[in-house]
Amino acid sequence: MGPRNALTQARGPVAPPVGVVYNTAMARPDAALALAALYLFENKRQARVGAVCVSGAGLTTAIFCDIVARFYAGPARNSNQALPVGLASVNPPPPDPPMVKPVVDRKKPNGDPQYARSIRQLTDTSQAEAVLRNGIVFNAETVVVLSAPATWIAKSLDLLGAKDQYKQRVRRVVIVESDGPQQDPIALRRFIADCPAPMFLCGKDVGDALLFPGSNLDTLFTAAAAHPVVDAYRAFKPMPYDAPLHDLAAMHFAVHPDSGFFGSSGPGSLSVSDQGGLKFVEGAGNVRRLTIEPTKKEEALTALVAIASAAPTPPAPRGRGGL
Amino acid sequence: MIVTKKSLSRRTILKGMGAAISLPFLDAMVPAFAKGALVGEAPLRLAWFYVPNGIDMRNWTPPVEGPLGTLPGVLAPLQPLKDDMLVLSNLTTNWGRPLQSGPGDHGRALGSYMTGVEVYKTAGADLKLSISADQIAANAVGHLTRLPSLEVGLEEARQAGNCDSGYSCAYVYNVSWKTESQPLPPISDPRQLFERLFGSDVVEAPEAHARRLAMRQSILDAVLGQTQRLESTLGGADRRKMDEYLTSVREIEQQVERAAKEGATIDPGIDKPFGVPAEFPDYFRLMTDMLIIAFKADITRISTIMMGREGSVRAYPEIGIADGHHPLTHHMGNMEMLAKVRQINELHTTLFAEFLMKMKNTREGDSNLLDRSLISYGSGLSDGNQHTHDQLPTLLMGRGNGFVSPGRHIIYQRETPVCNLFATMIQRAGVRAEHVGDSTGELQGLSLT
Repeated sequence: MGPRNALTQARGPVAPPVGVVYNTAMARPDAALALAALYLFENKRQARVGAVCVSGAGLTTAIFCDIVARFYAGPARNSNQALPVGLASVNPPPPDPPMVKPVVDRKKPNGDPQYARSIRQLTDTSQAEAVLRNGIVFNAETVVVLSAPATWIAKSLDLLGAKDQYKQRVRRVVIVESDGPQQDPIALRRFIADCPAPMFLCGKDVGDALLFPGSNLDTLFTAAAAHPVVDAYRAFKPMPYDAPLHDLAAMHFAVHPDSGFFGSSGPGSLSVSDQGGLKFVEGAGNVRRLTIEPTKKEEALTALVAIASAAPTPPAPRGRGGL
Repeated sequence: MIVTKKSLSRRTILKGMGAAISLPFLDAMVPAFAKGALVGEAPLRLAWFYVPNGIDMRNWTPPVEGPLGTLPGVLAPLQPLKDDMLVLSNLTTNWGRPLQSGPGDHGRALGSYMTGVEVYKTAGADLKLSISADQIAANAVGHLTRLPSLEVGLEEARQAGNCDSGYSCAYVYNVSWKTESQPLPPISDPRQLFERLFGSDVVEAPEAHARRLAMRQSILDAVLGQTQRLESTLGGADRRKMDEYLTSVREIEQQVERAAKEGATIDPGIDKPFGVPAEFPDYFRLMTDMLIIAFKADITRISTIMMGREGSVRAYPEIGIADGHHPLTHHMGNMEMLAKVRQINELHTTLFAEFLMKMKNTREGDSNLLDRSLISYGSGLSDGNQHTHDQLPTLLMGRGNGFVSPGRHIIYQRETPVCNLFATMIQRAGVRAEHVGDSTGELQGLSLT
């Protein structure tokens, strides 16, 4: 037995990183920070992007997500290695959140787009229900972060074999509650009822307890003079402000549920009112509510800020299989 | 006036010992008050042509979406048929991808192409796939024809062994699957195909069969008596149609016999059954001429045609290519190899165009076979060098009995399953199928009406 085999034996088999499917409306800066964190987790081989899918917003938002992907992960790879950003295509398209357009439109002094992108039109994006389903099977194990209208993720459950795939591969689903009602309460109800995977509610209180230090924005993000997430943060509303980290907390828990930063309630049920309000009641059900460990709150915030503001280090692309 | 003459049944078959010849559509099959038009909706023919190893996509995809103009290199042989075709871009076979299965893109590419499901990785007998789109259709409407479906191939199929990095040979040789574990091997022997089409339920004793072949008796001789009786009841136009049709059957029969006699003088570098024409173009023409007869005579309405097995190493000496197809597609950017891949791709589309033109020139009532068909042409790989399974090369030919608005390039969102196309095709044939494999719904935009 050679040295390499002995070392491998001593370490034991290495579990592949968990896949992440992120369904986002990209409506707030914490969503942009969560997206950055996702790619940074991937850079560090702590997670692998299964799919990013935009619903409840339009093409400009999908382009923004692609820009973030290119910023952190380098040029678009072939789809055996990464799936194009998905976009729920509806007519007329929903409005894009205000923070994404300045990023997409930003130009260099010579007039070229500031940020590289591979998406320019609708047909460069992925069909939403297909990419959500494909993202779930992209990796052996997957976690889902839902911070968007549940319309398309609910549809993906209706596809042939999808429920079995969810049951086999999805370790947990984290539903984000933030400002504003759920946009498609019927779909969310259906998804909660039909999804066979364990579900967690990242309630508004969690994000509200973790506030990004907006006044440190420039000192934290030092990777590049022009940074898409910084631009988005600034464009959201007049500075300085401290953004609640709803999506970022959900993303961190999804990838690192054992971090110790978050606790969870006992099982219960999550109901969705016709007006889109969420109500968790402990008791019978398959949903748990996340909580912030009070003694870990500062440590959690430090960790979230650190991961979201880290410099990108794109990993080498995976090799091609086949003959 | 009392009308007493009944129409000839469309299901009429000329039968003799060991032979059964279906008839083409004749005027005599139209009831008295419906002359000049087919009664009811004309049968829709469905066909899927599969080409292996991907395509030179730089010379495939039209530059813009919308009406087709001058077609790129690999599609150029189809220029005369541009108003009968749709070029469909961005379709995907997600289950062709490596995902967690590692090597084996060819096994997965073909296995998942018309089934839309994960290909269970095994080189053993424990195959696990799913029913393919054509067989979903065959189960629903195949009872309307003598043969529920017809599987044709241009390489002899193997069903056992490890053909692709742990994937069974069954996965790379079969595009049609009857059940999750039962492939439908394509018929690659011209004689066998001929007899499949024109054989009968009456079993001819082996000695009688051998005697008939030895005496070079045509299959038409076996049905001569019935043919003469039928022709005596037909009008002039129908007699001419019968004559043309039986002549084409006889011509094919002679080609089959000739191929069996001549044997192989050119080595294409693959296993091939005895009796296959020496040159690939002749082989393709012979097999697809029989397919046209099968469609024309409504022997079947559903067919798959494999131009080669996935991963095919066939050489094409008839166009000066001595290298195997598959190795060429791993060109790593070598322009000479890429040029040869393009040549092979163009040969395939040239032959496909010939077949389509014959379909178009085959009249049926006030229309033609091509207009009454939906014919898909494509591969489960796009870039054979990178083994990509999205942005697949896909054509849809024919008008599907007026459903399709052809003459366009349509670009879909990425990740749109190719099974969406197949689901739409079989739904047009009257098949109610909520899903075909990983389909997410009907493929939109094929019709502008």
